[in-house]
Amino acid sequence: MAADFWTSSQFKQLLDPEELNVVHPLDKERGITAEDYKLIKFHISNYIVKLAQYIKVRQRVVATAITYMRRVYTRRSMTEYNPRLVAPTCLYLAAKAEESTVQARLLAFYIKKVQSDEKYRCEIKEILEMEMKILEALNYYLVVFHPYRSLTQLLQDAGMSDSTQQTWGLVNDTYKMDLILVHPPHLIALACIYIASVQKDKENTAWFEELRVDMNVVKNIAMEILDFYDSYKLMSDENRISAAMNKLP
Amino acid sequence: MADMDLLLPKKVADRYLKREVLGEGTYGVVYKAIDTQTGQVVAIKKIRLGKQKEGVNFTALREIKLLKELKDPNIIELIDAFPHKGNLNLVFEFMETDLEAVIRDRNIVLSPADIKSYIQMTLKGLSFCHKKWVLHRDMKPNNLLIGPGGQLKLADFGLARIFGSPDRKFTHQVFARWYRAPELLFGAKQYGPGVDVWAAACIFAELLLRRPFLQGNSDIDQLGKIFASFGTPKPSQWSDMVYLPDYVEYQHVPGQPLRTLFPMASDDCLDLLGKMFMYDPKARISSQQALEHRYFSSIPPPTEPALLPRPPPKKEPVNPKASEFNPLDGPTVLSPPRKQRRVMPHREGFDMNAHNMIKMDDHGNETRQAAGERSEQAPMSLDFSVFGMRPPNRPTINSADRSHLKKKLDLEFQLPEEEEEEEEE
Repeated sequence: MAADFWTSSQFKQLLDPEELNVVHPLDKERGITAEDYKLIKFHISNYIVKLAQYIKVRQRVVATAITYMRRVYTRRSMTEYNPRLVAPTCLYLAAKAEESTVQARLLAFYIKKVQSDEKYRCEIKEILEMEMKILEALNYYLVVFHPYRSLTQLLQDAGMSDSTQQTWGLVNDTYKMDLILVHPPHLIALACIYIASVQKDKENTAWFEELRVDMNVVKNIAMEILDFYDSYKLMSDENRISAAMNKLP
Repeated sequence: MADMDLLLPKKVADRYLKREVLGEGTYGVVYKAIDTQTGQVVAIKKIRLGKQKEGVNFTALREIKLLKELKDPNIIELIDAFPHKGNLNLVFEFMETDLEAVIRDRNIVLSPADIKSYIQMTLKGLSFCHKKWVLHRDMKPNNLLIGPGGQLKLADFGLARIFGSPDRKFTHQVFARWYRAPELLFGAKQYGPGVDVWAAACIFAELLLRRPFLQGNSDIDQLGKIFASFGTPKPSQWSDMVYLPDYVEYQHVPGQPLRTLFPMASDDCLDLLGKMFMYDPKARISSQQALEHRYFSSIPPPTEPALLPRPPPKKEPVNPKASEFNPLDGPTVLSPPRKQRRVMPHREGFDMNAHNMIKMDDHGNETRQAAGERSEQAPMSLDFSVFGMRPPNRPTINSADRSHLKKKLDLEFQLPEEEEEEEEE
């Protein structure tokens, strides 16, 4: 368990939902909207996942990389920090920070396999330069706590170990949203467990009540996740994504 | 300084006024500088970027990552970081000296209260790390820096790791050998904060003896030294021992009573030391429990940090004798030139020890014997056994270990290479 989350930099940096998707002035000039922000971050998260599948890193690395990327865009513009380059660089940096280094050379190679679009191509040198810029944008805070660590224990405790795979998948999907920037990771884990138990018609009220967490928050996170699934089709619409991406330089 | 503009970009140059080079750190040059905004003296570590193949140095990144989360009076403060010319610069609080320099300085007398204070600050810093699930993994006197106010702070987190997940496997090639816990020497891949506690115990012992306590010259010899002091562990003492990857059976030797090893120490002191030197990591005292031990509440109370004896601050023109004194050492470790011997009890005994110590590297057995002999002598001789001669070189992580580490961790340890243009002048 992340016993020290409450004293971590991540806890101190948690944002209010209103602070998200505030479009940077430079991006506004290019006609990028808050909705575009969401779409682009969604698309870029998927891109990171795809790259990660090729280079074979742990889920933790993927989650950290996406968190870095989402943090960067709460402070920097997409115009100056091109998401097509930020994505592989965040993966590169996250792999280092999570102690499973990936070679930049390998990353540059797989980018070509994952994305046929020329615009995604990048030189090793560009990744390394962007690494420094991202470190600065993150203010050098690199430790990220994720819901995964508490998930297994919580599931066991709730007698729901058979739902591990499903909840794990739900947690993975939460990275397609900004939840990790807003909520403590164990509450995200609980929201996923909550969804899984509702879906399985498993009566877990007593267990949740014993946890001494604010169930309203857990339920709100769960609602956000479900809303996201409702809009999933719209979000993954290729045309809308490319329209948003085309506003980038 | 004239070359300041070359080193720092305009906006940062406004802030940090570069002074002299302090030394070569683990992964780059360290400069003294003044923060013009606060007037604070700082140390700036410029991280070499190698051949620009793998970006920010992995070891440096570890240090940044962990130090950003570890804010404690007994842990070195990372004040700032900034990129310049593609290099990363880390700004640390400036530290005057380190515990190794204190231990080695024969002009310094460490009272029991002083020792208590130094080891208490060490354990406080360590306990904070462990509370935050961080293993330091490179505890040694050289990495315990001492600030202008006498505060001791843990530094050099380049080998440190988060140990949150229970099943993660780690490399056992950590710590300088003399501070390596027996489980690491037996190749344990899953270990915990106990490794730091063992190293802290070695430092504790070193404060008492004024010389490194267990000076093995190979991993095998290191275990030999440990067993010669505390006795070969029996499976009843440490049940998991036989399952460790590199476990080999050692010939049984009886241990020596702690009282014999540390004749000058108080009972409370020995009780704590014994608990920190427990063979079984599960039975070893934790850093937090150690701080709650009665040793720290019994008299004498630990000395106030500001009143602790410290070597005189380094002077600007470095004494030539000092630099020849031990060229292998890190940045802040310039002990003052050694004085002529003041006391000369047992003259012959010394010379014999000196002889053995110098040949230590190729005569492990002889040294062990010498160590045994030494401990039978009066307490005085223990304290002055290395008097008036070069202290043995401390093994840091040597090149063999390093390449092993590299293989294990798959990381890039940069080979020494020419510094770029401006730094050389």
